[in-house]
Amino acid sequence: MASESVPESASKSYTAGLKEQLMENRRVRFLVSPGSGLFWILLFLIAPLTIIVAFSFFKPGEAGSIVYELTLANYREFVSSSVYHTVIWDSIKIGIITTLIVLPLGYTLGYFLGRTESRWTPVLLGLVVVQFWVPLIIRTYAWITVLGRNGVINKFLTAIGVIGEPVQLLYTTNGMILGLVVSILPFMVLPVYSAVSTIEEDVIQAAKTLGASDARAFFEVTLPLSWPGVVSGILFTFILSAGSFVAPALLGGPEDRLIAPVIATIFTNDFNWPFAAALSLVYILFLAVLLYLFTRKADLEEALEGTQI
Amino acid sequence: MSGSSRWNWPAVKGASLLIYLSMLLPLAVVVINSFNAARIPSFPPSEYSLRWYGAFLQDDTFMAAIWNSLKVGVAAAVLSGAIGTATAMGFVRKQFPFKKSLAIAMLTPMLVPPVIIGVSSTILFVQIGWDRSILWLVVMHTLVALPYAFLVIRSRLYLFDESLEDAAMTLGADRLTTFREVTFPIVAPSILTAMVLSFVISFGEFTASQFWVDRTTTTVPVVIYSMVRTLITPKVNVLATLVLVVTTAIPILGIVVQRFVLSNAQSQ
Repeated sequence: MASESVPESASKSYTAGLKEQLMENRRVRFLVSPGSGLFWILLFLIAPLTIIVAFSFFKPGEAGSIVYELTLANYREFVSSSVYHTVIWDSIKIGIITTLIVLPLGYTLGYFLGRTESRWTPVLLGLVVVQFWVPLIIRTYAWITVLGRNGVINKFLTAIGVIGEPVQLLYTTNGMILGLVVSILPFMVLPVYSAVSTIEEDVIQAAKTLGASDARAFFEVTLPLSWPGVVSGILFTFILSAGSFVAPALLGGPEDRLIAPVIATIFTNDFNWPFAAALSLVYILFLAVLLYLFTRKADLEEALEGTQI
Repeated sequence: MSGSSRWNWPAVKGASLLIYLSMLLPLAVVVINSFNAARIPSFPPSEYSLRWYGAFLQDDTFMAAIWNSLKVGVAAAVLSGAIGTATAMGFVRKQFPFKKSLAIAMLTPMLVPPVIIGVSSTILFVQIGWDRSILWLVVMHTLVALPYAFLVIRSRLYLFDESLEDAAMTLGADRLTTFREVTFPIVAPSILTAMVLSFVISFGEFTASQFWVDRTTTTVPVVIYSMVRTLITPKVNVLATLVLVVTTAIPILGIVVQRFVLSNAQSQ
């Protein structure tokens, strides 16, 4: 298609006028419009979340059907049954524990990558970035062979005589947390690396010239300057671990009932869509409150940009 | 240079080594075990062979899943690349109300747990009578990848020198030509990055996708999950190894192409 001709444009020699006029071209306007992306979000995220609000007030019928009759039964079931309180509380607990482990480990590696002078830095950084690219399901599945009764860890520990008998690692809470920690680590490493690597050598040296010890220079200069990276890492780590599905399903034990697998089971096995909707909304509401508190202290948009390097 | 701007360096190095070990060892075990001849693989393998690679290639379920994942991945990459570009340009170039909140709205797919994205969209689609098809995966993978594509392209556009466009238009180019000849070539590497990233995200997406697939549209991660949950077959190790190679190779290829495009653009 030929572009629409704009007869008057020849007479206007200054760009501002020309620019203004061509912005009238609808095809061009579409190219620089935020509308398409926001439309996609509205259609495929906001609309589904809105319809489950309605569904959460319906009754489940026989064999997965829905009875379109308003009821508070789903929410009453949530409020009265301590099972689901435990599920949400356990998810939050796993989120906090994972964050407490990922934070020091991820910071350490991010700090190492940010301050090392090794010429292998691009390769070492690449090995972390690669973790993002390999599907989560594969990185989690890989632990099964390592953690199993005849797995690498048990064989190694038996061989060096630390344990006499193989210990149960797979299908335990600890195994699940290990899988979660390692799969989420890059979300802490990369933002910390981005922040640490931009700290000038001179700034740290200045603190030391003024008499600060290595430790004090770290805690009073490096750590505060890398704080935005830490905040970003904490946000991702908590959200991904508290809402995780794959690690509890593949590595966790029967007692590890976290919110995501529980919603999936209610939806797929019990065919109770209204209750799955209600439970999803309760969790979304919890996340929304959490994110609101987050925005009071930090910039959410900046934190979400953190994994880019 | 003195290394004294670092704190506790030997401990940091030691811990970093262990972290690398924990990230890479399990993947290495999978790759090595894909060459394990045993039906019930133990590690280290007592005998190596390619028999499971042969069996894998004969397996129609796996082949269909790979084909589905590739189709969905390419479609989602193109869509989120295009939508991400338009949206990022809008956010960088235009002023509109609630810009800050709308930017966060663009990023919400990163915040909502994938299980809830999967469940809620399935309820909506079934409700409006849209049958499960590969299109479900395409539109929803585009949604999941969109925030990442948007961020990559937007951060590049922030660095873009708009006077280049003014120069082109002063010289008589219309806005479309300016976009094609000036803006696009400069932004193109980041669009490519965004598309590669979107492909990788789509290819690996499991948690939400398990609600979207049916027998004919099942994807690689869903097949891996159901195989692991039901019968562990050594063929899973083969598939995992191949996916590992492909998902690592594609971004590296992307970087190489990008470098090539960049150096060509600069030499002109």
